[in-house]
This record gives sequence, structure tokens and C-alpha cells, in this order.
Amino acid sequence: MVELPVLVIGGGPAGMEAARGIADIGYRCVLVEKRMVLGGTPELANYAALTPDFRDAGEAMAEMAKAVQDDEQVDVRIGTTVRDVSGAAGGFEVSLKSGTGNETVKAGAVVIATGFQHFDPGRETQQYGYYEYDDVLTLVDLEKMLREKKVVRPSNGEPPKRMCFIQCVGSRDRQIGNEYCSKVCCGVAAKESIEVRQLLPDCKVFIFYIDMRMYGYWENEIYWPSQEKYKVNYIKGIATDIRKKGDKLIVRGEDTTMGRPMEVPMDLVVLSVGMEASSGTKEMAEIFGVELNKYKFIETTGGALNTVATSVEGVFACGAATGPADIEDSISSASAAAMKAVSIVRKKALAG
Amino acid sequence: MTLDLSGKQYAGVDYDEKERLFEEVKKDFRFEQYLYGCYECGICVAACPSARFYDFSPRKIAQSVAREDVDLFYVFLNDSVWDCSQCFSCDVCPRKNSPGGLITLMREVAVNNGLASAQEALEGYGRVVYKIMATGTQVAPDMLQANAFPDWGPHVKDIAENLEAWRRALPPETMHTTEASWQVDEKTITELYLIWHMTGVMDMIKEVDEGLFMILQDVMEEKLEDAGYDVSFD
Amino acid sequence: MIPHAAILNKAKDRKFEADPDQAPTEDYHDIVNQLEKEGEWEVHRVPEPYVEVKNKYGRTKKIPVEQTWHHKSCGQCGHIPGYSTSIFWINRKLGLDYHDPTDQTSCTAWNYYASATSNAAAQAAVAMRNFAAAHETGYYPIIHCATSFGHYKETRQQLIHHPELRRQVRAILAKLGKKLIMPEEIVHYSEWVHAVRDRIAERQVHDMSGIRATVHPACHYHKLIGEDAVYAPEVYGAQRSAIITSTLQALGIEVGDYSTWADCCGFGFRHILVSRDFSRSFAVQRKIEVMKEEVDPDILITHDTGCVTTLDQSQFAAKAHDRNVGLAVMSDSQLCALAMGAHPYKVLQLHWHSTDSRPFLEKLGVDHQKAFAEFEQAVEELKSGKKEYMTWEDADG
Repeated sequence: MVELPVLVIGGGPAGMEAARGIADIGYRCVLVEKRMVLGGTPELANYAALTPDFRDAGEAMAEMAKAVQDDEQVDVRIGTTVRDVSGAAGGFEVSLKSGTGNETVKAGAVVIATGFQHFDPGRETQQYGYYEYDDVLTLVDLEKMLREKKVVRPSNGEPPKRMCFIQCVGSRDRQIGNEYCSKVCCGVAAKESIEVRQLLPDCKVFIFYIDMRMYGYWENEIYWPSQEKYKVNYIKGIATDIRKKGDKLIVRGEDTTMGRPMEVPMDLVVLSVGMEASSGTKEMAEIFGVELNKYKFIETTGGALNTVATSVEGVFACGAATGPADIEDSISSASAAAMKAVSIVRKKALAG
Repeated sequence: MTLDLSGKQYAGVDYDEKERLFEEVKKDFRFEQYLYGCYECGICVAACPSARFYDFSPRKIAQSVAREDVDLFYVFLNDSVWDCSQCFSCDVCPRKNSPGGLITLMREVAVNNGLASAQEALEGYGRVVYKIMATGTQVAPDMLQANAFPDWGPHVKDIAENLEAWRRALPPETMHTTEASWQVDEKTITELYLIWHMTGVMDMIKEVDEGLFMILQDVMEEKLEDAGYDVSFD
Repeated sequence: MIPHAAILNKAKDRKFEADPDQAPTEDYHDIVNQLEKEGEWEVHRVPEPYVEVKNKYGRTKKIPVEQTWHHKSCGQCGHIPGYSTSIFWINRKLGLDYHDPTDQTSCTAWNYYASATSNAAAQAAVAMRNFAAAHETGYYPIIHCATSFGHYKETRQQLIHHPELRRQVRAILAKLGKKLIMPEEIVHYSEWVHAVRDRIAERQVHDMSGIRATVHPACHYHKLIGEDAVYAPEVYGAQRSAIITSTLQALGIEVGDYSTWADCCGFGFRHILVSRDFSRSFAVQRKIEVMKEEVDPDILITHDTGCVTTLDQSQFAAKAHDRNVGLAVMSDSQLCALAMGAHPYKVLQLHWHSTDSRPFLEKLGVDHQKAFAEFEQAVEELKSGKKEYMTWEDADG
């Protein structure tokens, strides 16, 4: 059997890294992205800086995109979706649809890198008023403002004097059914809090949290600096609701450390929305027949020792398609998926 | 009043007794849906009306039970649960705990075991229990007496003085009553008595208010016998 | 999906519509129907014609329009009788068939939440006895009190999850000669008001466009098993229950928002009877004064027994302490009846309230002095024995 290319689905950080890895070790790859640009969620949601290294997100994504576009081993298909699949590991036939029509490509293995979507705060954490109040934002909304170096209250265009982040919105919540930690929101909030303090030194910034989860080096890269150098106030206690009073937002919670209910006026409130499986992830799982886990992400079946295998031989998943992941994790698992995909292409060709 | 969490006020109560009551709460069939675990996030306290006026914390109550801290549980069982408003604002818990529901269970255990604190909390409340048990309706027009509600305003006196006529001045035919909120059929009340009897509610009342129990027992036994139900209170 | 492009856009540009596919709970309709298939109970179906509305998770909830069995409220009938009278009056004016039963007890939840001198089995048996009684008449239960509504939802959930409780309650009902009947929907009367609000508005005789109101939603309506509560995209962006607000807006009233909207009223069950210092303080400081300061409304509208009681009766004592009180309180049923021309004393029975609604009536152009004189005259006729009761015809006279 000839060595067929690997099909990588999703042109975000994980998909681009998987494609680059496959090409780097001398194999061919077809990279499919349904949008007209590469860059995934960091591009779509206008991320300003990556966590935790504060690298310019636009520049980083452009560099990754250029790497795959310039590599003749990678056949980049933008504006293309996957419709159907037949065959098995070593010889899949995948039908693709694009603006120019339908086409069937052969692939020896498949890497699903279809990522996540941000939790919609209208869905259950309704008392936070995202759909009611102009000055309630999400991490994503703030990220775009940070990219434009302009943090203001949407209600009046003025810079905020007091603002806060509310953690775990849509994560770690049995009411919503999202019984997992989204891993990145603590770090992203801390990173954004530093950026806000850099832009607006007069703005007091608070973070209301249940547990701050900034493991490993994130501790000293973002958590401590935000608290020690940038004087961000961390308060253990989560808000029960946000209501408008005059032109302020009142955030109501308990300061559990001090053991007292609190109501604090804010100019701007940022909801640290978590991650959910993207619609693309769910669609690809359906088409390729791979199992989802109870959280609706793709189930990886190899336990701790193989983080990219799925329930279908020859189909791998990486990045946030398998669960909440930061960029570092996504890039690592993409490389693992590239290696596993190439190895099965090679083994099947040798066997066949 | 500040809540004393040291537990020294109950040092004289046997640990085994505290543990017995704790186990009674835990074995209620609703317990597992009312308490999973606690993040200490304080969302329940933030939403709680009682926490604003009393030294009261649904978070601490949930946490004491989650930690199986029997001494602390006993303090809350006696000195805290009756402050709860039972509004269930605390049902916003991300762990899906219901601190208010947990408190309902704790109160039931306090009543079932005739704790002095429960008797004290329910002092002055017997007339309401009597009303619901005896009439099938919970609060009634004739409870509106100026001496019972002096803080509600002068209209209470007007109502009390004109009660009988003002009740007849209500167009719905079922609402001309003064001793009950509306007219309840004799058969319906008998059915309610049977429910109280069959579900052990009378035993609970006996634990907290023996006098009230005796009065109700007389009323109910006679009605149930007349209706041909074979029951006896012993 | 969050609209990423709409970063500097205002909240009005962010659109949310609940998606039932993303609901975090199993649909209670499915479970209730499944248990019927398994022979566990019979389902009392919502009779036609019904109005379909959306609940919190975007699922459809059927609200019956007529053939309703009115599960009355002890606190309403006992202490605020114009509340229930107005519900019946609106039904009559809209020409809708209803049943006001005498084979109905209180839900007894007020006592249960106050004193715990009851238990889950007793409470479930009381609920199911009332539902069985409704089913026997062929009329569909509609619940006047938010606590009964909330408690019955709680009971439904317990019965769904605990077969042993179902067996126990079924045995008790069998002894009463009744079957286990679960209504397809547990319906609060204010949902019915919401469902027929346009019909009410069509019959509106008082212009209310100059009126500003605040709304207090009952905790046991939207927090205790909150998923049954009614939501609508056009009210608060489907982020809070639409109930009451939707009705007031249909009548042309401006609804003012305030920062303690989601706070409880302070009723507390046992507190309102034996620890009223708490209820008064909470109602005044956390609700009435906040509304006065932030909105200065003409009227406060709520939809529950305990809430009307607490918010209305707690203001009198606070006056002595120069607190910023003096806000008339009514139920949505009373307000709707008034909008349709009901008599403020013969139907709304405002003399049972503590707060002064006369300034509000004046703003609507209602001659309350004349109206009260008419009421007093009617009472004289009752006292003198000329008439035995005030009839529905008298109430409109």
C-alpha cells in the first residue's frame, strides 16, 4: 500500500502544529479549515497576547500559518468542510466540500483538531446580565479591547476606574452540567488583569475566584506578578448576581476569607467564561464515529500514556477538541498526534 | 447575636448523641441531592437574606455537614437552622447543593427528637400548626387580630372588627369563612387527618408540643372514626 | 456562540435564545410521561385550548386557558382576599370556564417551611391528594401561591427520583380511594396571566402609560426548581423570568429595574409570624427603600402570597422610624383586574392592604372616595341583613 497523506481537520494552533509536524518528518498532509483564514480561535476571537508568555497572538498565529502555507508537503484547504468518510486506517476516503465543489481525498490517518468554543454566559449563569448590561463582558471581549490597547466601558466609552473578573463562569458547575475545570481561565484572567493595569494604572482590578489554578511556572509568571507588582486584588468568593445601580454595576458575593457578604460597585465586569466542545468537534465526532466523553469533548482512549488516540483506529484528536487545554498543551498534543498519525500511515503501508 | 462555634456550650452533650442526630440527617432519602461537596465559594451566603441580618451562614452549615464535623453540626442544629428563611435563594450553588434543603432536613430531625432549641423556636407557633391541622387551610382571617400584628397598621383592627361582614363582602362563594381561609369540605379535612396520621406527623407534633398534640388528637380521632377509618393514636 | 465581532457593541446587540438541546437537566415532561407508561401514575394533561410559552431552558410549557381548577392560597384567601377574587373576576370577564373547589386543602408548605412539623411523605401526599381531587372534576390545577407552586415542583422531583416515596404516597391515596395523578405541567396563576395578557390588555379601560412600576419575583417561583419558570427573549433578554414584567409591559406600564431585584422579600415563613423584626427590616431595607431610591415607582407588583404580605405589611412600622417607605403593593391579578375596570374595594379588596394605594388610583383617574363609599354601603346592606353576601353582580354594580 502506498503511503497516503494525513488529513488534519482544523486550522487553529493544534491543527497547524500537527500539519507542520507531519511535514517536518517528511510526510504529506492535507490541512482542512472551514473558515477562510488559518489561526483558529486566537484569530477568530482577536486574542491580544498568549498566556503565559504575553507573546503577540496575531504575530504568533501568522507565523504558524506561514509555516504550513510555505511548506509544499502541506496542502492547505481553507473554506473547506468534511462531509463524509469511508475506509479504514491506512486507507480512508474523505469527501470534502468547498466553494469550488466536492472532492474526495485519500488519507492514511486523520487528526481532528477542531478545538473548543467559549461558554455562552446567557445559558445558565443568567444572573450575571451579559445580555442585559453593556458593561458586562467576557474574557474574549476584553481580549479584543486589549489588542486595540483601548479598555473602555461600552456604555459610555470611558476607561473603567474599578473592574473585576468573575472566575469559573460556565466551568466547574453541576447546575450547567459542565463538571470540569476549563484550565486556562485563571491564567488568562491574571494575564488580562496585568495588561489592564499596564494600560490603566489608575484602575483598581479585582478577581473573584473559587480556587486560582495557575499551576507550574504560571505561578511566578502571572499569578504572583499580578498580585505583587500590579496590585490586583484576589478575593475568594464568587458572585451570585450583577445588577445595575445608577451607572455602576453592583457585584454581590461573599468575601469568604473575611466571612461577610459584600456588594461592590464596578465600572466593568469581565466574566471568565470557560470552554465547551465546539460544534465542529461534535460534527467531526459524528462523521468519523469517534466517541465523545461525558463532557461532549472527544474521548481519548489511551489513558495517561496516549493522549491522542480515539475510539477509531487511525483517527487521532488533539488540542481543545479533547478537553479544555491551553496553547502549550495544544501544541504538545498536536505534535504527539502528528507522530502517531505518521506512524500508522507508515505501518499500514509496510504491512500492505 | 454572635454564633458561638466553639461548641463548648454543648460540651455536656454526649458525642454519641450528636452523632446519632447527624446520622439521622444523612439517612434521609433527600440528603444525597441536597449536599454533594462544598467549594467555599460563598454564592449561597451572597444570595441569602438571613445572612444579612443574623450571624448565619448556609456555607458554614453545608461545610460542617460535608466535613462530618459532628460537634459543629450540633451547634448549627440548635443555634442556627431556625434563622433560615427557606427561600431557596441558595439553590444557585455550582455544586448543586441545596443548603436550604439540608436545613429542612436538620429542622425535621430537631423536631423529631424534641430538641429544646426546636421547642423554643416554635414557641408561639402552635396556633398556626393548630390552624392547618384543624382546618386544612393554613392562615385564616380570624388570625388577623390587632394584638397579634400590632406592627402591620390600623387596618388590622378594622379587619378584625368588620371581619364577618367583610368576609361576606367577598364575591367568591368559597371565601365567606372566618375560621378557615376558604370553605373546605368535611370529607377533605378528614382525608388530610388521615394523611397526617399515616405519615407520622402527629408524632412529630407530640415531640415539640404535647398540649397541642392532645387537642389535635381528640379532634382527629373523632372525625376519623366517624368517617369509618380504622385508626388509633397511641 | 458568543458574538465575537460584537465587542464594543451594547448589550442590546447581543442576542440570546435558550436552546433546549443545551439544557442541563433531563426534561421533566419526558420523565413524567415515561413514569405514566410504566404504570407509576396517570398524567393529567393540559386541556385545550392552551398557550405555549418557553421555560428557562427554552423548552415549551403549556399554559391552560380555561377549565382551570383553582388551587387557592391560604395567605391570599385569608389575609389578602382581593388577590384571589381578582383572579376569578378576570376569568369571568374573559368568559373562561373555571372551578373554585372546596375539595382542596392548603399545600401546607408554609407550615412545613416554618416549623418542620411535617415530612416529605406527608407533604407529597397532601400535594397528590389535591391533584387527584382536581383530576376528578376534569378541571386542570392552576396554583395561586408561589410557595405551593415551588413546593409541588419539589414534590414532583422527589416522586420522580424516589420509587419508595411513590409507593408510600400511592398507598396513602389508595386508602383515600384516590389514584396517583401527576399534572403534565405545574402551572402558577401568574403564568396564566402572562398567557392571556393580550386579552387583558384588549379590555383595558385605564390608560397606564404614565405609570412606573417595580416588580418583585417570588423566590419559590423562579429559584426553587427554577427550570419551570417562564422566560421570554423579549423580556430581560431571557436572562430572568419574564413573569409579571411581560404583563405590565402589555398594559403599557414602564417597569423600572433596581439593584436588589433578585433578593427575597424577607417573608421567612416562621419569621413573618413569630420573628417579624427580620421580615420588616429585610423588606424595607433591601426591597422597598432600594426601589424608592432607584426607581421611585407608583406601584410595586408581585405574584405571591408571602411577597405581597411581607412587602405590604412591613412598611407601616418603618414609617415610625422615618424610613423611605410608602409604596403601594398589589398582585399582578389585582392590577390586571383594575386595568380592566374592576372595583378597587369590591373586587381588589384594597382595604385589606396596609399600604396606601389611593395616590396610585388617583393617578389612574379612579375616584377611590366614591368607590369606598360604595363598598361601605354594600357592607351596610350585609350588616343590616338586607343581603346575605356580595355577589359577582354586586361587585360590578
